[in-house]
Amino acid sequence: MTAPNAHPVVARTGHGAAAPAATSPGAPRTTSDVRDMVLAAIDRHTPLRIVGRGTWLAGGRPVTSAEPIHLGALTGIVDYTPGDLTLTARAGTPLSEIAAATAAEGQWLALVPWGGDDGTLGATLATATAGPVAGMFGTPRDVAIGIETVTGTGDIVRGGGRVVKNVAGFDLTRLMVGAWGTLGVITEVSVRLRALPECDETVALPLNGESSLGTLLAKVRTAPIGPLSLELISAAAARRLALGEGSTLLVRIAGNAELVAAQRAALAAVGDVVDAPPNVWTALRTVEPTEAAVVRLSGTVARFAETWSAAERLAAAAGGLAHASVQRSVVRVVMPLQDGALSEAGAAALRGESRDTRIFERLPASMWTSVAPTAVADRLSRGVRTAFDPHRLLNPGILGEPA
Amino acid sequence: MLGRPSELVVYRSDGLPGYSKQPRLAVFPRTRDEVIAIVRLLAELHVPFVPRGAGTGLSGGALADDVVLIGLNRLTRVLSIDPVERLAVVEPGVVNVALTRAVTPHGLHYAPDPSSQAACTIGGNVAENAGGPHCLKYGVTLNHVRAVTAILPDGEIVQLGNASGEHDGYDLLGAFVGSEGCFGIALDVTVKLSPNPPAIRTLLADFMSIETAARATSAIIASGIVPAALEMMDGPTIRAVEASIYAAGYPTDAEAILLIELDGLAAGLDSDAARVEAMCADAGARTVRIARDETERARLWQGRKKAFGAMGRVSPHLVVQDAVIPRTRLPDVLASIHEIATRRRITVCNVFHAGDGNLHPNIGYDANDPDERARVHEAMREIMAACVAAGGTITGEHGIGLDKLDYMGLIFSDASLAAMCRLREVFDPERRANPGKVIPVHSCREWHGAPKGAWKDDCA
Repeated sequence: MTAPNAHPVVARTGHGAAAPAATSPGAPRTTSDVRDMVLAAIDRHTPLRIVGRGTWLAGGRPVTSAEPIHLGALTGIVDYTPGDLTLTARAGTPLSEIAAATAAEGQWLALVPWGGDDGTLGATLATATAGPVAGMFGTPRDVAIGIETVTGTGDIVRGGGRVVKNVAGFDLTRLMVGAWGTLGVITEVSVRLRALPECDETVALPLNGESSLGTLLAKVRTAPIGPLSLELISAAAARRLALGEGSTLLVRIAGNAELVAAQRAALAAVGDVVDAPPNVWTALRTVEPTEAAVVRLSGTVARFAETWSAAERLAAAAGGLAHASVQRSVVRVVMPLQDGALSEAGAAALRGESRDTRIFERLPASMWTSVAPTAVADRLSRGVRTAFDPHRLLNPGILGEPA
Repeated sequence: MLGRPSELVVYRSDGLPGYSKQPRLAVFPRTRDEVIAIVRLLAELHVPFVPRGAGTGLSGGALADDVVLIGLNRLTRVLSIDPVERLAVVEPGVVNVALTRAVTPHGLHYAPDPSSQAACTIGGNVAENAGGPHCLKYGVTLNHVRAVTAILPDGEIVQLGNASGEHDGYDLLGAFVGSEGCFGIALDVTVKLSPNPPAIRTLLADFMSIETAARATSAIIASGIVPAALEMMDGPTIRAVEASIYAAGYPTDAEAILLIELDGLAAGLDSDAARVEAMCADAGARTVRIARDETERARLWQGRKKAFGAMGRVSPHLVVQDAVIPRTRLPDVLASIHEIATRRRITVCNVFHAGDGNLHPNIGYDANDPDERARVHEAMREIMAACVAAGGTITGEHGIGLDKLDYMGLIFSDASLAAMCRLREVFDPERRANPGKVIPVHSCREWHGAPKGAWKDDCA
């Protein structure tokens, strides 16, 4: 089912852009407001484009004609008992608000997704955006313990709960994480929290010459460390962060003072260690330009060096940068756009063969079909979509799904 | 293949006493191809079936009521081990601890460690999203499964997830894990392996009341130290264990013990252990001791892991209950459980994963005494209601199966239950796989927002 009348396509604002009309009149403030809007959309045969603070509007495939539903006013922490290390918040709550509330209690939400803390909790889960601590604490699917959504049928549906362990019923929480809103408008989320470590430091190990990557990583992998993050950044990224001229390995070590000192000593035995500035992670998370194509390559431990070289070549072709979460063997390549398009060399590189699995986060609208076949064309995915959004009302097109 | 009633008696129950259902037929394929052939034949004949691993489940999930039981416990091959990527691919019938044994030479282990790990299978663990003591720090089965090749009830073979753990599209693997055998049968499972921790400290703290032990637990969790495991056992459990062949040297005059394990890099671990010791003492622990060596550690753990077995001495039947509460609510919910038990004149033994608030109130009783059975039943319902009222849930790791069907309405609305039903129908439109489990039948009403037939084009 498609809209009989053409509605204007929502303007695609950039990654990290300020919230658009978060409190526009009529914006839903409660779950039942959202339900009313979905029910009205069903009646009017009008698909909806789900918008939080607009930081992810450039992500995913272009949404076909749809009317925005702004969740910027669906905010607030609903339940937070620090001793339980869990928190429940409305989906439109910015990550920065959650970070502030939890830091006051010596805790944090260990998601810290790429793109920074401007975005909402709901968008982070809907897009399953991970960040530099995912190797230690997992991705959004590991952090979410419960989700409330309004499905495309206008039903208020909850999966999971507010406790850290729960196997009651079929797992609607996992189903909603990474579904880009196409199975339900996420209205409320419960997450597990972590205590902030007593000491938390980041050191940088600059790479000296290309041949040393394999050697350095082999040493780091076997060193007695248990880093929160192990992020390799390309020379271009290092320059942007004022960390030197060459590729650098960032290692975030945390724990009690004794543990951090021991890890620091272990790293000093591996290579030249310099202190990274305290804001290095925020800087890296927000380093990418507003207009960019972003692709993730997932390789293996054994082939990591090869995947990294492929990523560096992709980045170089477009004048971009690359960074890799070494613990997960995932490399993220950021390729800036000029006037909304990739450089010819960059586009050619993306169209070329790849031995690595590629997942695209952002691309110029015209490139999706040529380089990123949809991942939801199989029978089960189509069935799930039809079960939860039979009218194709929610973010239609964002997964490249067949009409 | 077993078809005679006398042969099928063995398969009338699983790990949970109190339910008994006789399968019409039980089949035990030895190979993947045999599983595929069986499922496809049943699909052709539209016959319902129940997959079963080792039958150690505690919610009646593997009971087959006059339908075909498919035992997967003979598919026991570890198909591959990759120590560099820290991955293994196994058949569904591989026993949990056998996998850990197979990867021990590489300094690795499979992290989820349910108490039944010496018998339960990986396929069953995936079906139930099994936990275990060490899930407090390392996560449950969901967090350790990267991919599953599954045969759907209609005979189609699908790959869910992939070895890299990075995926695009819907998290169908996440939906499959914990689906209690209702979405299909895993033909192989790719799991993540974890490096063995370089250092371990195991502490035993004993208390003169459950309340003080609960307070110590809350203090440790709130401190930010994440123990690998934090288990509690109450007085009746301690005494049952100490009177059994699994005696672990727990003080029999204590009313509660905490078994606390810290692991990780050696540096700083002793200072964390000292902090935990101090928090226990502050809460009122009588003594705190640290296991001196691996032998003592193994003995302390044996008492915990074999506690259910030890309780077999106490009464003819045992209900092993399972619920989760927010961790700050431990003292008052445990007090409520005590009150319920006293009022209903039953004996509750608590042995549970205190660190994540996962309670296991166990009730010993005689199933042949109808009055006692009724009191146990009422007490269980009240205990579940108390856990839900505290903000908790009705199962943390055992599943809904048959046993908890009646409680689903305590935590999920009709709309949520109906949505779960629709999800099941995507995988199994005929609802032939493990029929009658997980979602109460009356919840599977027509999905009110969906036009009739809207989904059938895709799913039927």
